[in-house]
Amino acid sequence: MLAGQIINGLVVGSMYAMVAVGFTLVLGVLDKLNFAHPEVFMFGGFVGFVVVSTGVPFWVALPAAAVVGGILGLFVEWVSFRRFTGPDGHITAALSSLAVGLILIDVTQKIWGTDPVGFSLPASISSGGIDVAGITVSYLQVIILLSTLALMAGLHFLILHTQLGRSIRAIAEAPVFASLYGINGRRVTQKTFVVSSSLAAIAGTFLSFRSGFASTEVGLVFGLKALAIMAIGGIGDMRGAVIVGLLLGVLEALAFQFGMGVLSDVAVWFAMILFLLVRPEGLFRTRTREGRA
Amino acid sequence: MIDHLFFTGINILLAWSAYIVLLSGSLSFAQGAFMAIGCYIAGVLTVKFGWALEPALVVAAFGTAFIGAAIGYPALRTRGLYLILLTVGVTFVVRVGLEQFEYVGGVLGFGGMLGATVWHVGVAVVIVGAALCVLSVSPWQRVLDAIREDEAVAESLGINAAKVSVACFSAGAGVAAIAGGLYGHYMAFVRPEIFDILISIFVVLYVILGGVNNMWGAVLGAAILTLVPEYVRVLSEWRPTAYGVVIVLLLLFRPMGLLTFRIVTVRLPNSPRETASNQSA
Repeated sequence: MLAGQIINGLVVGSMYAMVAVGFTLVLGVLDKLNFAHPEVFMFGGFVGFVVVSTGVPFWVALPAAAVVGGILGLFVEWVSFRRFTGPDGHITAALSSLAVGLILIDVTQKIWGTDPVGFSLPASISSGGIDVAGITVSYLQVIILLSTLALMAGLHFLILHTQLGRSIRAIAEAPVFASLYGINGRRVTQKTFVVSSSLAAIAGTFLSFRSGFASTEVGLVFGLKALAIMAIGGIGDMRGAVIVGLLLGVLEALAFQFGMGVLSDVAVWFAMILFLLVRPEGLFRTRTREGRA
Repeated sequence: MIDHLFFTGINILLAWSAYIVLLSGSLSFAQGAFMAIGCYIAGVLTVKFGWALEPALVVAAFGTAFIGAAIGYPALRTRGLYLILLTVGVTFVVRVGLEQFEYVGGVLGFGGMLGATVWHVGVAVVIVGAALCVLSVSPWQRVLDAIREDEAVAESLGINAAKVSVACFSAGAGVAAIAGGLYGHYMAFVRPEIFDILISIFVVLYVILGGVNNMWGAVLGAAILTLVPEYVRVLSEWRPTAYGVVIVLLLLFRPMGLLTFRIVTVRLPNSPRETASNQSA
């Protein structure tokens, strides 16, 4: 039972991790908060809903969500980030992306209504499963965990071992020098947004698969929590975001198990406040960006 | 009609509370939380202790300002992005905290507050507005401008930026508390979930729409965003989209907000603070 809860927690935690990594990517490159990010995550759930309810095989939802998320990411970058490079840029960009997020919620509600829309996956996926040492792990959980693992490994490879990754790291380190060395800052920023938003949208699809419905509320409730996770993990620290995300998922699942579900909701934000005040460099003491923030 | 006037007044107060925090260059998404705290302090005083509304509001304002200072003192050491994150966190913690607080009804809500009229709001708006008016023509305005433009320079000129920022944060919390107290005593019943992160977001948008440069921008922004959707039906259906589109366009094409004029501040020739802010400008 306990082990089952831990697996459940890992599944939720992997979604937290994917959203938090996206936050951290954009923050690392631009030093700006993308407040539209939780709503791209939310919209991913509706992509899942549309794909499944039109009868297309359910796995199509994942590439579809990645494409839709990527397009939304490009749009957000174009509207809310490209022009705001001045000293007030981080406030202006935060507000502008917040406004884009509000629009996205409202438009989604106008299309599919304010109530969550339910759908069901093929029964073999959601209820069938494998027995591992006495615990039944459903195929859906396996799919979510494995694809998260694959995506995170892919991201790790992308950042550390490709040309794009090197450019991203260069721009995060020193934007002016990076452009002096011939790196096209705008192009790299756009690609960062595509990667970050696709991950969020895929995570949103996973969430809707797991809960069986797509809701417009998950952005502000679930997605915004990734902000706290990112801050606890250390701003700009992707490894920290993934570890804290998984940890939080498990802790939450255990808290629910022992009847302290409400507590876990505050605890995240409380932990974030403590971390920002006492240890702003995050759990793993990566170099702080406070000088530039 | 009275309803509209009342809510416009409340929103003007809230917009001013965010504007006061912005004066020192910090963006706060915690105004909804301070509104909630003020509402509950005033409500407990009138309902459980039988106080009259007016003294309860004053106590709520000062109590919340004190809480604001307690939160702001450590929080304002972290600036920029970190502060935005912190205030978002405060909003969530306060809301869930109130939901767990059985003494004031918890999740189910807290009722029985009565007695706020449109006149109370009017008086509150006039008092806060007069205070801001005095501030905006005083040398303090330039101290705040200096901090907002460049904190390092301001500090090098002898301005204690941290102290001034905490004072602004605290005063903003107090004004938000008055708005919250009046709101609660007009609605007669509140639930913690009303004071959502969305309220804090909208309040900031009022100020941004009107202009962050002077106190009238907040008034204009709050009045437009409260009243126009009430009278234009399409807009009230699409309210969040309309807000969003307006804000996005505004930030792109008129980033200083609708009203951008400045009031000339008083010059006091012998004040060292005065020369300080002059040089940094």
